Amino acid sequence: MAVRTIEVRESLMARNNELAAEVRRRLGEAGVVAFNLVSSPGSGKTTLLERTLEALGQELGIAVITGDVQTENDARRLARRTDRLVQAVVTNGACHLDARQVLAALEAIDLRATRLLFVENVGNLVCPASWDLGEAAKVVVFSVTEGEDKPLKYPKMFRQAQYAVLNKLDLLPHLSFDLDQAVGFAREVNPALRFFFTSALTGEGMDAWFAFLRTQARVAAPRS
Amino acid sequence: MHEMSLALEVGRLVEIALQRSPGRLLRVGVVVGDEAGVEPANLAFCLEAVLASPPFGGARPVLRRAPGDELRLEYVEVDDGRPDH
Repeated sequence: MAVRTIEVRESLMARNNELAAEVRRRLGEAGVVAFNLVSSPGSGKTTLLERTLEALGQELGIAVITGDVQTENDARRLARRTDRLVQAVVTNGACHLDARQVLAALEAIDLRATRLLFVENVGNLVCPASWDLGEAAKVVVFSVTEGEDKPLKYPKMFRQAQYAVLNKLDLLPHLSFDLDQAVGFAREVNPALRFFFTSALTGEGMDAWFAFLRTQARVAAPRS
Repeated sequence: MHEMSLALEVGRLVEIALQRSPGRLLRVGVVVGDEAGVEPANLAFCLEAVLASPPFGGARPVLRRAPGDELRLEYVEVDDGRPDH
Protein backbone atom coordinates (compact mmCIF):
# COMPACT_ATOMS: atom_id res chain seq x y z
CA MET A 1 0.00 0.00 0.00
CA ALA A 2 1.05 3.58 -0.55
CA VAL A 3 0.62 5.75 2.49
CA ARG A 4 0.81 9.43 1.72
CA THR A 5 0.84 12.34 4.13
CA ILE A 6 -0.99 15.37 2.82
CA GLU A 7 -0.10 18.68 4.46
CA VAL A 8 -3.21 20.71 5.23
CA ARG A 9 -2.10 23.37 7.76
CA GLU A 10 -5.57 24.85 8.05
CA SER A 11 -6.65 26.68 11.21
CA LEU A 12 -9.71 25.22 12.88
CA MET A 13 -10.86 28.78 13.47
CA ALA A 14 -10.51 29.81 9.81
CA ARG A 15 -14.15 29.23 8.87
CA ASN A 16 -15.40 31.07 11.96
CA ASN A 17 -12.98 33.90 11.23
CA GLU A 18 -14.26 34.19 7.65
CA LEU A 19 -17.81 34.49 8.93
CA ALA A 20 -16.70 36.99 11.60
CA ALA A 21 -15.10 39.06 8.85
CA GLU A 22 -18.44 39.04 7.01
CA VAL A 23 -20.24 40.17 10.20
CA ARG A 24 -17.65 42.94 10.60
CA ARG A 25 -18.06 43.99 6.97
CA ARG A 26 -21.86 44.23 7.24
CA LEU A 27 -21.71 46.13 10.52
CA GLY A 28 -19.04 48.46 9.17
CA GLU A 29 -21.08 49.20 6.07
CA ALA A 30 -24.12 50.05 8.20
CA GLY A 31 -22.07 52.08 10.69
CA VAL A 32 -22.96 49.83 13.60
CA VAL A 33 -20.52 49.32 16.46
CA ALA A 34 -20.76 45.91 18.12
CA PHE A 35 -19.62 44.81 21.55
CA ASN A 36 -19.28 41.20 22.62
CA LEU A 37 -20.19 41.04 26.33
CA VAL A 38 -18.35 38.20 28.02
CA SER A 39 -18.16 37.13 31.66
CA SER A 40 -18.70 34.39 34.20
CA PRO A 41 -22.31 33.43 34.77
CA GLY A 42 -23.99 35.88 37.15
CA SER A 43 -21.72 38.89 36.67
CA GLY A 44 -24.65 41.13 35.81
CA LYS A 45 -24.47 41.27 32.00
CA THR A 46 -28.23 41.22 31.57
CA THR A 47 -28.83 43.89 34.23
CA LEU A 48 -26.12 46.05 32.67
CA LEU A 49 -27.90 45.68 29.34
CA GLU A 50 -31.31 46.40 30.85
CA ARG A 51 -30.05 49.69 32.29
CA THR A 52 -28.24 50.51 29.06
CA LEU A 53 -31.39 49.87 27.02
CA GLU A 54 -33.44 52.05 29.38
CA ALA A 55 -30.98 54.92 29.06
CA LEU A 56 -29.85 54.66 25.44
CA GLY A 57 -32.02 52.08 23.70
CA GLN A 58 -33.97 54.61 21.67
CA GLU A 59 -31.22 57.19 21.31
CA LEU A 60 -28.67 54.75 19.88
CA GLY A 61 -31.03 52.23 18.29
CA ILE A 62 -29.56 49.40 20.33
CA ALA A 63 -29.92 45.82 19.14
CA VAL A 64 -29.08 42.83 21.31
CA ILE A 65 -28.26 39.25 20.41
CA THR A 66 -28.47 37.01 23.45
CA GLY A 67 -26.70 33.72 23.99
CA ASP A 68 -28.72 32.11 26.73
CA VAL A 69 -27.69 28.49 27.11
CA GLN A 70 -30.95 26.74 27.86
CA THR A 71 -33.71 29.31 28.21
CA GLU A 72 -34.89 32.55 26.69
CA ASN A 73 -35.01 34.26 30.09
CA ASP A 74 -32.40 36.89 29.26
CA ALA A 75 -34.13 37.73 25.99
CA ARG A 76 -37.46 38.07 27.77
CA ARG A 77 -35.95 40.41 30.39
CA LEU A 78 -34.38 42.54 27.68
CA ALA A 79 -37.53 42.52 25.56
CA ARG A 80 -39.26 44.43 28.38
CA ARG A 81 -36.80 47.28 27.83
CA THR A 82 -36.97 47.45 24.07
CA ASP A 83 -39.85 46.93 21.69
CA ARG A 84 -37.62 45.73 18.89
CA LEU A 85 -34.29 44.31 17.91
CA VAL A 86 -33.86 41.57 20.49
CA GLN A 87 -32.80 38.36 18.81
CA ALA A 88 -32.49 35.29 20.99
CA VAL A 89 -29.96 32.66 20.15
CA VAL A 90 -30.59 29.64 22.35
CA THR A 91 -27.43 27.64 22.25
CA ASN A 92 -28.72 24.34 23.65
CA GLY A 93 -25.95 23.78 26.12
CA ALA A 94 -23.12 25.17 24.00
CA CYS A 95 -20.37 27.05 25.77
CA HIS A 96 -19.99 30.03 23.43
CA LEU A 97 -21.55 31.82 20.49
CA ASP A 98 -19.87 31.60 17.10
CA ALA A 99 -19.83 33.93 14.14
CA ARG A 100 -22.29 31.79 12.19
CA GLN A 101 -24.96 32.35 14.86
CA VAL A 102 -24.32 36.08 14.89
CA LEU A 103 -24.42 36.29 11.10
CA ALA A 104 -27.77 34.45 11.12
CA ALA A 105 -29.12 36.78 13.82
CA LEU A 106 -28.10 39.85 11.79
CA GLU A 107 -30.62 38.81 9.15
CA ALA A 108 -33.39 39.63 11.61
CA ILE A 109 -31.99 42.99 12.69
CA ASP A 110 -32.70 46.22 10.85
CA LEU A 111 -29.12 47.47 10.73
CA ARG A 112 -30.17 50.79 9.22
CA ALA A 113 -32.05 51.57 12.44
CA THR A 114 -29.18 50.35 14.61
CA ARG A 115 -26.07 52.16 15.80
CA LEU A 116 -25.04 49.91 18.62
CA LEU A 117 -25.19 46.12 18.82
CA PHE A 118 -24.54 44.07 21.92
CA VAL A 119 -23.90 40.36 21.76
CA GLU A 120 -24.54 38.89 25.19
CA ASN A 121 -22.35 35.82 25.05
CA VAL A 122 -22.75 32.65 27.07
CA GLY A 123 -21.54 33.14 30.67
CA ASN A 124 -18.15 31.46 30.50
CA LEU A 125 -14.65 32.93 30.79
CA VAL A 126 -12.94 30.21 28.74
CA CYS A 127 -14.54 29.33 25.42
CA PRO A 128 -15.94 32.71 24.25
CA ALA A 129 -12.37 34.08 24.35
CA SER A 130 -11.46 31.91 21.36
CA TRP A 131 -14.27 32.90 19.02
CA ASP A 132 -14.30 36.13 17.04
CA LEU A 133 -17.91 37.18 16.45
CA GLY A 134 -17.13 40.17 14.25
CA GLU A 135 -17.33 42.57 17.18
CA ALA A 136 -15.51 45.87 17.51
CA ALA A 137 -14.34 44.79 20.95
CA LYS A 138 -14.92 42.31 23.71
CA VAL A 139 -16.13 43.81 26.99
CA VAL A 140 -15.51 41.61 29.99
CA VAL A 141 -17.94 42.11 32.86
CA PHE A 142 -16.30 41.22 36.16
CA SER A 143 -18.34 41.47 39.32
CA VAL A 144 -16.95 42.13 42.79
CA THR A 145 -18.57 38.93 44.05
CA GLU A 146 -15.92 37.03 42.12
CA GLY A 147 -12.34 36.55 43.27
CA GLU A 148 -9.81 39.32 42.63
CA ASP A 149 -7.64 36.82 40.78
CA LYS A 150 -10.16 36.04 38.01
CA PRO A 151 -7.91 37.83 35.46
CA LEU A 152 -5.00 35.58 36.44
CA LYS A 153 -7.12 32.45 36.27
CA TYR A 154 -8.63 33.36 32.88
CA PRO A 155 -5.87 35.42 31.25
CA LYS A 156 -6.91 34.76 27.66
CA MET A 157 -10.29 36.38 28.18
CA PHE A 158 -8.79 39.42 29.89
CA ARG A 159 -6.13 39.66 27.20
CA GLN A 160 -8.73 39.45 24.41
CA ALA A 161 -10.96 42.12 25.96
CA GLN A 162 -10.40 45.82 25.36
CA TYR A 163 -12.76 46.95 28.11
CA ALA A 164 -13.66 45.68 31.57
CA VAL A 165 -16.75 46.59 33.53
CA LEU A 166 -16.22 46.01 37.26
CA ASN A 167 -19.81 45.55 38.32
CA LYS A 168 -21.91 45.18 41.49
CA LEU A 169 -19.96 47.92 43.32
CA ASP A 170 -22.98 48.34 45.62
CA LEU A 171 -22.00 45.03 47.26
CA LEU A 172 -18.45 46.12 48.12
CA PRO A 173 -19.26 47.05 51.77
CA HIS A 174 -20.41 43.47 52.36
CA LEU A 175 -17.39 41.77 50.78
CA SER A 176 -13.67 41.45 51.38
CA PHE A 177 -13.03 42.08 47.67
CA ASP A 178 -9.95 44.25 47.08
CA LEU A 179 -10.81 46.42 44.09
CA ASP A 180 -7.28 47.78 43.60
CA GLN A 181 -5.84 44.28 43.63
CA ALA A 182 -8.39 43.07 41.07
CA VAL A 183 -7.57 45.99 38.76
CA GLY A 184 -3.86 45.32 39.30
CA PHE A 185 -4.24 41.67 38.31
CA ALA A 186 -6.23 42.61 35.22
CA ARG A 187 -3.62 45.19 34.19
CA GLU A 188 -0.89 42.62 34.75
CA VAL A 189 -2.56 40.46 32.11
CA ASN A 190 -3.58 43.31 29.81
CA PRO A 191 -2.03 46.73 30.51
CA ALA A 192 -4.21 48.37 27.83
CA LEU A 193 -7.51 47.30 29.40
CA ARG A 194 -9.86 50.24 30.02
CA PHE A 195 -12.09 50.02 33.08
CA PHE A 196 -15.58 51.08 34.02
CA PHE A 197 -16.67 50.83 37.64
CA THR A 198 -20.40 50.30 37.95
CA SER A 199 -23.34 49.10 39.86
CA ALA A 200 -25.93 48.39 37.20
CA LEU A 201 -28.41 47.94 40.05
CA THR A 202 -28.01 51.37 41.69
CA GLY A 203 -26.76 53.25 38.62
CA GLU A 204 -23.40 54.09 40.18
CA GLY A 205 -20.78 54.70 37.50
CA MET A 206 -23.22 54.12 34.67
CA ASP A 207 -22.88 57.67 33.31
CA ALA A 208 -19.27 57.02 32.27
CA TRP A 209 -20.36 53.79 30.55
CA PHE A 210 -23.16 55.60 28.72
CA ALA A 211 -20.84 58.44 27.66
CA PHE A 212 -18.40 55.88 26.28
CA LEU A 213 -21.16 54.14 24.29
CA ARG A 214 -22.39 57.44 22.86
CA THR A 215 -18.86 58.26 21.70
CA GLN A 216 -18.37 54.82 20.16
CA ALA A 217 -21.68 55.02 18.29
CA ARG A 218 -20.83 58.51 17.00
CA VAL A 219 -17.42 57.42 15.75
CA ALA A 220 -18.85 54.38 13.95
CA ALA A 221 -21.79 56.20 12.33
CA PRO A 222 -21.52 56.44 8.53
CA ARG A 223 -20.65 59.85 7.18
CA SER A 224 -23.65 61.39 5.43
CA MET B 1 -16.69 22.47 26.23
CA HIS B 2 -16.37 23.29 22.53
CA GLU B 3 -14.17 20.35 21.58
CA MET B 4 -16.99 18.68 19.64
CA SER B 5 -17.55 21.71 17.42
CA LEU B 6 -13.81 21.79 16.75
CA ALA B 7 -13.86 18.07 15.97
CA LEU B 8 -16.68 18.65 13.48
CA GLU B 9 -14.62 21.41 11.87
CA VAL B 10 -11.71 18.96 11.59
CA GLY B 11 -14.14 16.55 9.89
CA ARG B 12 -15.17 19.26 7.42
CA LEU B 13 -11.56 20.10 6.57
CA VAL B 14 -10.60 16.42 6.26
CA GLU B 15 -13.47 15.87 3.83
CA ILE B 16 -12.15 18.71 1.68
CA ALA B 17 -8.64 17.23 1.82
CA LEU B 18 -9.99 13.80 0.82
CA GLN B 19 -11.81 15.26 -2.16
CA ARG B 20 -8.48 16.63 -3.37
CA SER B 21 -6.49 13.53 -2.48
CA PRO B 22 -8.79 10.50 -2.39
CA GLY B 23 -7.86 7.40 -0.47
CA ARG B 24 -8.53 5.49 2.71
CA LEU B 25 -7.99 7.81 5.65
CA LEU B 26 -5.50 6.46 8.20
CA ARG B 27 -4.47 9.31 10.51
CA VAL B 28 -5.41 12.93 11.11
CA GLY B 29 -2.79 15.24 12.61
CA VAL B 30 -4.03 18.16 14.71
CA VAL B 31 -1.95 20.81 16.49
CA VAL B 32 -3.35 22.02 19.82
CA GLY B 33 -1.83 25.12 21.40
CA ASP B 34 -1.31 25.16 25.15
CA GLU B 35 -3.34 28.38 25.37
CA ALA B 36 -6.02 27.38 22.87
CA GLY B 37 -8.62 26.77 25.58
CA VAL B 38 -8.92 23.15 24.51
CA GLU B 39 -8.46 20.01 26.55
CA PRO B 40 -6.48 17.66 24.26
CA ALA B 41 -7.92 14.47 25.75
CA ASN B 42 -11.45 15.75 25.20
CA LEU B 43 -10.64 16.80 21.66
CA ALA B 44 -9.10 13.37 20.95
CA PHE B 45 -12.25 11.72 22.29
CA CYS B 46 -14.48 13.89 20.09
CA LEU B 47 -12.23 13.32 17.08
CA GLU B 48 -12.44 9.58 17.56
CA ALA B 49 -16.24 9.86 17.54
CA VAL B 50 -16.26 12.03 14.39
CA LEU B 51 -13.68 9.90 12.57
CA ALA B 52 -15.57 6.69 13.40
CA SER B 53 -18.39 7.80 11.11
CA PRO B 54 -18.44 7.60 7.31
CA PRO B 55 -16.64 8.70 5.24
CA PHE B 56 -13.72 8.52 7.67
CA GLY B 57 -13.79 4.83 8.54
CA GLY B 58 -12.15 4.88 11.94
CA ALA B 59 -9.05 6.93 11.19
CA ARG B 60 -6.84 7.72 14.19
CA PRO B 61 -6.42 11.27 15.50
CA VAL B 62 -2.85 12.28 16.33
CA LEU B 63 -2.61 15.37 18.50
CA ARG B 64 0.53 17.42 18.89
CA ARG B 65 0.88 20.05 21.62
CA ALA B 66 2.43 23.40 20.73
CA PRO B 67 3.02 26.70 22.50
CA GLY B 68 0.56 29.54 21.98
CA ASP B 69 -3.10 29.38 21.01
CA GLU B 70 -2.99 27.74 17.61
CA LEU B 71 -5.50 25.10 16.59
CA ARG B 72 -4.72 23.55 13.26
CA LEU B 73 -5.38 20.54 11.10
CA GLU B 74 -1.79 19.82 10.17
CA TYR B 75 -2.03 16.78 7.91
CA VAL B 76 -4.08 13.82 6.79
CA GLU B 77 -2.51 10.48 6.10
CA VAL B 78 -4.18 8.35 3.41
CA ASP B 79 -3.64 5.07 1.68
CA ASP B 80 -4.36 5.92 -1.92
CA GLY B 81 -4.39 2.26 -2.99
CA ARG B 82 -1.64 2.71 -5.50
CA PRO B 83 1.36 0.43 -5.29
CA ASP B 84 4.51 1.83 -3.73
CA HIS B 85 6.51 3.55 -6.45
